[in-house]
Amino acid sequence: MSLWRQLTYGLRSLTHRAKRDRDVADEVEQYFEEAAAAWRSRGLSAEEARRAARLEAGNMTIVKERVNSYGWENAARSFVGDLRLAGRQLRKHPAFTLTATLTLALGIGANTAIFSVVQTVLLAPLPYQNANRLAVLDTHWTNSGHTTPRVTGPDAEDVRDQARSIEAASLYNGGNLGVQLHDHSVYTVVTWVDANFARVFSLQPIAGYLFTDADAHHAALVSERFARDNFGSTQAALGQVLHVENEPLVIKGVLPATFDFPAGTQVWEAYPLRPESRSRTAFNYKAVGRLRPGVSFQTAQTELNEISRRLETAYPGENRNKRLLALPLQKALTGDARPTLLLLWATVGFILLIACVNVTHLQLVRSMERQREIAIRKALGSSGWHVMQPVILEGLLVSLIGGMAGVLLAFPAVHVLVAMAPKELPRADEIHLNGWVLAFTLGLAVLTALVSSLLPALRAAKVDPAGAMKQDVSRGMGRHGAARLRDGLVVAEVAATFVLAVGAGLLLHTMMTLMSRDMGYQTRQLLVVDADAPAHSEQDAHRAVQQFNELFAQLAAVPGVEHVAGIMGLPMGNYGSNGYYKTRGGLPVDPGHEASSIFSVASPGYFQAMGIPIKRGRDFSAQDTFESPFVAVISESLAKQSFGDADPVGKQIQCGLDSDKWMTVVGVVGDVRQESPAENPGPALYMPMTQHPFYANQIHIVLRTEVKPLTLMNAVEEKIAQVNPFIALRFTTMDAMVNQSVAAERFRAALISSFAGVGLLLAMLGVYGTMAYSVAQRTFEIGIRMAFGAEKGAILRTVLEHAAKLACCGIAAGLVLSLILARLVTGMLVGVRPMDPFSLGAAALLLLLTALAAAFAPGWKATHIDSMAALRAE
Amino acid sequence: MLTSSPMADPNTDVIQGTLDMLILKTLSLEPMHGFGIARRVEQISRGVFKMNPGSLLTALQRLERAGWLDAEWRQTENSRRAKFYTLTRTGKKQLENETADWTRRASAIARLLKAEG
Repeated sequence: MSLWRQLTYGLRSLTHRAKRDRDVADEVEQYFEEAAAAWRSRGLSAEEARRAARLEAGNMTIVKERVNSYGWENAARSFVGDLRLAGRQLRKHPAFTLTATLTLALGIGANTAIFSVVQTVLLAPLPYQNANRLAVLDTHWTNSGHTTPRVTGPDAEDVRDQARSIEAASLYNGGNLGVQLHDHSVYTVVTWVDANFARVFSLQPIAGYLFTDADAHHAALVSERFARDNFGSTQAALGQVLHVENEPLVIKGVLPATFDFPAGTQVWEAYPLRPESRSRTAFNYKAVGRLRPGVSFQTAQTELNEISRRLETAYPGENRNKRLLALPLQKALTGDARPTLLLLWATVGFILLIACVNVTHLQLVRSMERQREIAIRKALGSSGWHVMQPVILEGLLVSLIGGMAGVLLAFPAVHVLVAMAPKELPRADEIHLNGWVLAFTLGLAVLTALVSSLLPALRAAKVDPAGAMKQDVSRGMGRHGAARLRDGLVVAEVAATFVLAVGAGLLLHTMMTLMSRDMGYQTRQLLVVDADAPAHSEQDAHRAVQQFNELFAQLAAVPGVEHVAGIMGLPMGNYGSNGYYKTRGGLPVDPGHEASSIFSVASPGYFQAMGIPIKRGRDFSAQDTFESPFVAVISESLAKQSFGDADPVGKQIQCGLDSDKWMTVVGVVGDVRQESPAENPGPALYMPMTQHPFYANQIHIVLRTEVKPLTLMNAVEEKIAQVNPFIALRFTTMDAMVNQSVAAERFRAALISSFAGVGLLLAMLGVYGTMAYSVAQRTFEIGIRMAFGAEKGAILRTVLEHAAKLACCGIAAGLVLSLILARLVTGMLVGVRPMDPFSLGAAALLLLLTALAAAFAPGWKATHIDSMAALRAE
Repeated sequence: MLTSSPMADPNTDVIQGTLDMLILKTLSLEPMHGFGIARRVEQISRGVFKMNPGSLLTALQRLERAGWLDAEWRQTENSRRAKFYTLTRTGKKQLENETADWTRRASAIARLLKAEG
């Protein structure tokens, strides 16, 4: 109540100032009138009574003032008054104001933009109910320290049934798949989930119902977007049938568009609660769960450890050293993006530091000009706080304006950032400026105001009136301490910029390395078609392979197409497999360290289409059929790993992809980088599509073209539709896939480089400011030297030498700082060491040149000082 | 004739910390304007306490904002516009608290002084 009155009364008196003044005056006057009247009634004359009242109650004006000054609003008003004064001062110095504001706008804008990404991705809770209780299950091996984000069906089932700390758990699996609708097919993210999935996320369908365990393999949920795009409305989607991998599924419900876990899923197919894969060594599932309210992740983990130990005892073979881990879902989703985002955050922190240093410097220059004024004010009795206040208020005002300009800059910056971000950046569509971000910006602005005005304010407070009045900066008799301080700021600025430039250099060097790497195949002129042919039974699969082979022949006839082939396990593609293999006649294998390899299934002509060289033996051919002896082609790495220098052609190899038949090695091909240019080439085992039909219905068709690959898109799509309209398609090019695979590296390199550019600009401003100021300060001294015959060249040289000296000190400090910070980026570098001499040298040279360039204009001006005018001035 | 010159008086300052209580007590009798309160306090204390208008009017603002007083502009007997203060319910409670507190302390001081004497 009273707080409320304080606030409203105060606000009312602020907004109705005149009325409050009038009321107080009226009340005080009435008091004095009554007092006089009281004296009159005791027999005094009117004049005597007034005098007596004044004698007793004091001066009316003073009383009015005293009563008027009650209330918090008066303090607020005097603050606003001081702020207004500071504003007037800023208007009178537009060059200072503009430079300082712009500098801070850049610094604060960059920080706001990056923080809005950090806040949404790393800090904001996931947009699910009870998000802080959602967990993923990982499998961890205590002996090797290896962890996979997957689980086996039986392990996860045991956890789900036994763990009391987990309220609900669901197994799921899936990926990009073709979905056949009644008149067309689409390529989208399909996830198989059990009936617990909706419980874990507390899902409510916006239309229809959730499915139950009895609906397994018969029902599906779709997202609102999928329903709109394919059926027109959510209601129209209900009851429709769609086919996934030849299974007819009835759409039972539609989920809100905001929910698309995992990874942008549009279709959730019902799978049974009892996992179909019964092996404890096949990691076919992922699992999410929800902890019971009040249960911590630590408690849950303790329980999981115990269950893991029980399973280890029960299944000593399969579950040896195996631990199931419960990790927060948020961490699991955003963990990969964390280092990049933190790096960016640290970078913009550096930018802000540079901006602060610049503003500090500008304020120092301004307060030196004001030194005499401050000295006079101190001589007249102003306290230290009183001479500091205008400096700090000016800083605050500049920072707030800069902060506002920064937020305006941040709006487009966030847009660009999200557009540039790699597809893997989680939660990118949630990113926008919000209250948290604005509060962060405001805090940042106040902080920068304090940081950047602290030094100038303290200096103002320390001004010694007598000393300062004797000194005259315009005669080149400035205090040495002040000059040293400004030099120190420039050194700090150059050091911070150097760190940014080194970071940018390292990441750019990494990018260049990646882009120029030999992938092991030709990426140019290669059209890639994701093709998903529906197949369920063995006959379906054989038919699909047959159809694909016919299709390859027809596609090869399309004008502009050179070679066509199919592949399951395309580098950077969606599908792939890997595992252990055995050989006969190969090198001996350590028990416990079985040889592993990537498994790919390819059609004849794949190596030719991709430009992968055949080093020995032969490619697959039409004669390699399901009935003929099984064959395989291996990569050079695999040959070296398992056969050493011996000729592997004719040797036997076996893997657990889909059959345990031994295969004869018929050829050896060159190595490829499978996941990205950042990866080293490794062992690969290729098998023909005809002999592994179950792995040959979801493939990539690769077409080596003579023309621009995407121009053939329509012709290819038409051909495929003629053969089988239910093959779901998606087109891309190999170049695009390679580019996509280094998107994270490109994102980092581009951002850090642009930040380094901003830093460089600010550092240049800083050096320019210092030099220009010191030249202006030394006009008198330079004038004398020129009058005594100093050469223009010598004058210019002193200015440039000074700048070079500062830059070198800054570079040296930056070098030390880079050494300390280098380990932050080590994990992000490919083909370049953190102490890359090229990057360090380039950064040093760049900064030195920048400093010299910034110092040149003031230096040039110094050589044109008219000695007579300089001496006469004052 | 001036019967009592303010300058010649002994100390007439209100005891520190009791200003609020005196105002609240005075207003518990009837709504009053500022000078009314000052005069009433002076009269009842037989001239021992005299209120300074600056302190009094500032205190009235403070008490009003604390919610212990309400204020409204009314006409006085000689039809002059004046600000009249009324005790609120929370003000009454506050007065009770302060009175109890004061009595406790005053009797303690009285006991101490008696013991010394």
